[in-house]
Amino acid sequence: MSWDLFAYFALPSVLCWAAGAFFAWKGQASKVYAFSFAGLAIYFAFILGMWISLERPPLRTMGETRMWYSFFLALAGIIVYSRWHYKWILSFSTLMSFVFICINLAKPEIHSKSLMPALQSPWFAPHVIVYMFAYGLLGAATLVAAYMLIKKRGDMHKELNIMDNMVYVGLAFLSFGMLFGALWAKEAWGHYWAWDPKETWAAITWLCYLLYLHYRRICPGQWKDACLILLLAFVFLQMCWWGINYLPSARGLSVHTYNVG
Amino acid sequence: MTTENLNKERHWSIEKGFAAGGLVFALGLGLQIACGPVPWQDFAWPANIIILAILLSLIALMFMLRKRVYAFRWMMHGEAAVASITWALGLTMIMGLVPQLRSDGVPWLSQMLSFWPFVLVWTWMLIIDALACLNHISRFKLREIPFILNHLGVFIAIACATLGNPDMQQLQMTVYEKHSEWQAITAEGKVVEPGLAIQLHDFSVEYYPDGSPKRFASDISVHSKNGSQAQGTVEVNKALKVEGWKIYQYGYDSSMGDNSPYSVFLMVKDPWLPYVYIGIFMMLAGALCLMLFMAPKPIEK
Repeated sequence: MSWDLFAYFALPSVLCWAAGAFFAWKGQASKVYAFSFAGLAIYFAFILGMWISLERPPLRTMGETRMWYSFFLALAGIIVYSRWHYKWILSFSTLMSFVFICINLAKPEIHSKSLMPALQSPWFAPHVIVYMFAYGLLGAATLVAAYMLIKKRGDMHKELNIMDNMVYVGLAFLSFGMLFGALWAKEAWGHYWAWDPKETWAAITWLCYLLYLHYRRICPGQWKDACLILLLAFVFLQMCWWGINYLPSARGLSVHTYNVG
Repeated sequence: MTTENLNKERHWSIEKGFAAGGLVFALGLGLQIACGPVPWQDFAWPANIIILAILLSLIALMFMLRKRVYAFRWMMHGEAAVASITWALGLTMIMGLVPQLRSDGVPWLSQMLSFWPFVLVWTWMLIIDALACLNHISRFKLREIPFILNHLGVFIAIACATLGNPDMQQLQMTVYEKHSEWQAITAEGKVVEPGLAIQLHDFSVEYYPDGSPKRFASDISVHSKNGSQAQGTVEVNKALKVEGWKIYQYGYDSSMGDNSPYSVFLMVKDPWLPYVYIGIFMMLAGALCLMLFMAPKPIEK
């Protein structure tokens, strides 16, 4: 499997997800699941193929993490749909997934086989996959927050409930990612936490989601503030994920910068 | 009280918390001006265990006086958590934006970890976390376990990691092939003898077809002063454990590659590590509980 074939897997997947989203509006649940899972299966076949042909987990470059992100956004969408039966969630998750697929198509990055020794660890795959899953869920929660802020009126109980649930699960996965990272760092670099710029921004992101959680418990009525906290948290998350590559305070200092280009 | 009044009351309570955080920050600023940055190296054993004992006694005392002192009662609740997390978030954000430097005599914000307001705000947040935790422990029921795992885990991990840090030894030892070495250097460049000798039998590097290194490994024996001996291969992600030390593959002469005449090791001893790990595993269990038990119930159609 090579990166050149990405479009031939990704675009059919997006078509399947779009069909799933369409049937969600029509209220035909069985077709929703059939198309969504078909899309996931096609997309995952590509990931698996990359994994086998690269002889390592495809998790090293920015493009590779984006590839997972598209997958987890679609997966998070279908999980949320199955639990809360939101008509619109699949349209959102498909659109977001598609955006990341387009970025990968427009800016494919070199995917060489080599994996530096520090990344050859059993912790590598769980650390990044768990983080990507958290990013997917928290990204979806951010969309709900943005939707609420734009709509602004009416009964928001259901939206708040779904947003809270996604943040609880997303934060749990964010914590797993961070703590797996700490355990791995101890094995690879001799210390579990070194305040490397990526770690600092991971802590900032984590604190911001903690803030959301506590704030929601204390002031359940102030949902607009809560939505704003969530938007801010998502900005931090982007900073942690790729923003630090462009930040003067992190340049050349982080062991986490992706191999760009 | 109506929901709206309750909301107003709580908002007011959070605002008081922001002001309290301002006081903590000001106190830190005063300390920074009066005494300079936090002298972490002075907090090595036994100072750190004394500080921990004082901190724990202080927390216990605050908890016992909670019915009499409003401020202590306030600190057990979510409003205090919101205020203190916001303060810690703000200061950590500055740390993320300002390049952090190791050398002495740099601006305060370039050494955030030794900046008193940063340290005190985080400590304040931990005290609030511990008080909330005691509050839940004091009315223990099975359903309090997720809350306790998360809050106690955070407290144990951060307190032990921070206070234990001055006790951590990180030494670099450069060993030439077919030689043994007793001396190592500290991060500050001081030569010390950790009481272990490393003998390097063989160092090797394997490459990918594109020329980047795939694996580098050192075949070593370790001798200790009291006569015990260990043998093994050290490579990246595979450290060797000997008498409380962990020996990591750290570097080599990369210009020589496979022919590097020496191998560099990192030797780490961290006596507080088991306690930090207790905290980390509690947080892992707590995160699992967060997702399974603490998330609000979905609203059914």
